[in-house]
Amino acid sequence: MDNKNINVLEVKGLSKQYKKGVYASQGVTFNVRKGEIFALIGPNGAGKTTTIRMISTLLKATEGDAIVDGHSILTEPEKVRQCITYLPDEAGAYKTMTGTRYLEFMAGIYANDANQIKEFVERASEISELGDRLKDKIGSYSRGMIRKLLLARAMMPKPALAILDEPTSGLDIINALDIRRMIKKLSSQGMSFLLSSHNMLEIEYVSDRVGIIAKGHLLEVGTAEELKDKYGTRNLEEVFEKVVLSR
Amino acid sequence: MKFMSLFKKELREMLTPQTIIVLVMIYVGMFMLGNVMGKQIDKIVEESSEIVLCDNDDTSFTKSMIEAMKKPDANTTNTVKLVKLESDDYPAELDRLGEKYIVIIPKGFTEQVESGKTTEYIYVSRMTSLSTLGNVSAGSETAKNLIQASVVSTLYSKKMIEGKLTSDEITQLNKPVDLKEITVVQNNTANIGASTVAQMKTMENMFLPIIVFLLIMYSSQMVLNAVSTEKIDKTLETLLSAPVSRLSVLSSKMLAAGVVAALYAIVMMFGMQNVVTKMQTGGDTAAYKDAVEQLGLTLSGGQFILVGLQMFISILIALSISLVLGVLAKDAKSGQALLLPIQLLSMVPYMLSMFMDIKTLSPVVKYIIYAIPFTHTFMANENIMFGNTTLYWGGLAYQLALLAICMTFAIRVFTSDKIFTMTLGGGKKSSGGLFGKKTQQHED
Repeated sequence: MDNKNINVLEVKGLSKQYKKGVYASQGVTFNVRKGEIFALIGPNGAGKTTTIRMISTLLKATEGDAIVDGHSILTEPEKVRQCITYLPDEAGAYKTMTGTRYLEFMAGIYANDANQIKEFVERASEISELGDRLKDKIGSYSRGMIRKLLLARAMMPKPALAILDEPTSGLDIINALDIRRMIKKLSSQGMSFLLSSHNMLEIEYVSDRVGIIAKGHLLEVGTAEELKDKYGTRNLEEVFEKVVLSR
Repeated sequence: MKFMSLFKKELREMLTPQTIIVLVMIYVGMFMLGNVMGKQIDKIVEESSEIVLCDNDDTSFTKSMIEAMKKPDANTTNTVKLVKLESDDYPAELDRLGEKYIVIIPKGFTEQVESGKTTEYIYVSRMTSLSTLGNVSAGSETAKNLIQASVVSTLYSKKMIEGKLTSDEITQLNKPVDLKEITVVQNNTANIGASTVAQMKTMENMFLPIIVFLLIMYSSQMVLNAVSTEKIDKTLETLLSAPVSRLSVLSSKMLAAGVVAALYAIVMMFGMQNVVTKMQTGGDTAAYKDAVEQLGLTLSGGQFILVGLQMFISILIALSISLVLGVLAKDAKSGQALLLPIQLLSMVPYMLSMFMDIKTLSPVVKYIIYAIPFTHTFMANENIMFGNTTLYWGGLAYQLALLAICMTFAIRVFTSDKIFTMTLGGGKKSSGGLFGKKTQQHED
């Protein structure tokens, strides 16, 4: 079977209900293939983070399930956590640690032995492109540097699925471009990505397929080109507008 | 105008509903503390007019002295309860009579007075606490003053009739009576005043409650900051999505805080021991030490461990509460405000245990104070020294039960969605309140 047809993530009717009758996400269904960059796009409050948090096993799903690399988030959350890495939106790092110490600490959680820790840290150092600044305390890093460090941390164990919530949120153009290139490069090496963003132009550039989510419902799934053709628009923002207005 | 706008903005940020709740709690706490202490002082004043007396001399002089005690002046009336002692076994006699103290006028008292010599009376008191107000000998002070006044008055009357004073009589007038104080602790007695013992013991143990107080504060703050900072910086989400169990994350935080708290405790204990050793160099130190040995007011190694056990459990309770409070914190400022209830809960028993014997408070107040888990740790030293084993073990059982409840709750919060959705004081995210009340989450 072609690797590209293997599903790394299968989300089946995933719902999260915080209050009776009020769903943050409802019946969300999609899949992510090996080496694919799949993006959930939608405005603030659409249910992207809730869906991502359920897949990351941080929140318990009210209904439905998600299978990550063959493991259910409901019944095998520990095994799911071994297959994924998650980068939250606007996440920070331990400011008193140096970049290297942070990578070592996180590698210690994912790795099985000292050699693997070393291997992970070397890989993350390379991905981060932070060079000697890794010896400095994270407290002295710019926002872009922290994001690069965290992204490198998320990539270092070579997860089956990397889940990145708003990966370039709050970054300047140069840092955002660097991170998009980084994601593209790792994807070409076979890593799968589930991204979320409300920046639809960015997603159009970086992702293979897109899921449009609004008010907790996944309304459309397809490549950017397919969706633009279907709705006769020039970009994803216009697709989104039409999809949401048509409901 | 500009200043007022800035001032109002700053005030609004600082005077949050949480701050107001904390202020109300502080006021209520202090009000309660004031009331409890006021009642204790009223009790002491009341006790000063109640004299339990054993007249072993039984002469017309002692009888008139007792009458004078009852009505020393037109505005004062004292109650003198006369008792008879069956033996010199003071602990047994206090138990038999159901009294906390007895003033004893010994046989030959009148004869001594009349022969112009300084005479002695005895004050036997049962010590049940090391607190300052718990050992005020109000009854003995009243008795001493009145006995002294009676003797002086008798001498004057006599001299008014006889004429000049001898040198012995002048000495006698300057110091007509000597007080021999006997303190009873459980079944042990020593010739020393309870207030003297309490004073010295307080000095000796003054650092223990301070250490308990500081450890509770420090460890709570450490864990609360650790959890709230991780939650606010979202490093907690990173950790909890990693292949590590939530219980490992929780227990590592608690253990680390416990280890640092233990290090603090050890350093403070050694420091305290050094200070106490340096302070105990006075002339009466040897006599005091003998008396303390006789009264059994020392802790063995095993008893030290029992005190340490309650201290450790108190810290664990504070840590588990702080874990939950850390989850509730929206930012560093609210985290600090959330600490105040713990500070208050440890401050009330800390202050009370220093000044008064909590056991003697009115039942309602006493059980409210007992409900604060830290109270038992502040009382542990005293409970063990004075043989209040029921109170010690009861307190320990209560602390363990509360620890189990707090830990269960903390684990429940940590292993459920609440860790990400629970906040205090509304705001952006509140899907499950502290007590399970759920509101919609407004996030992506």
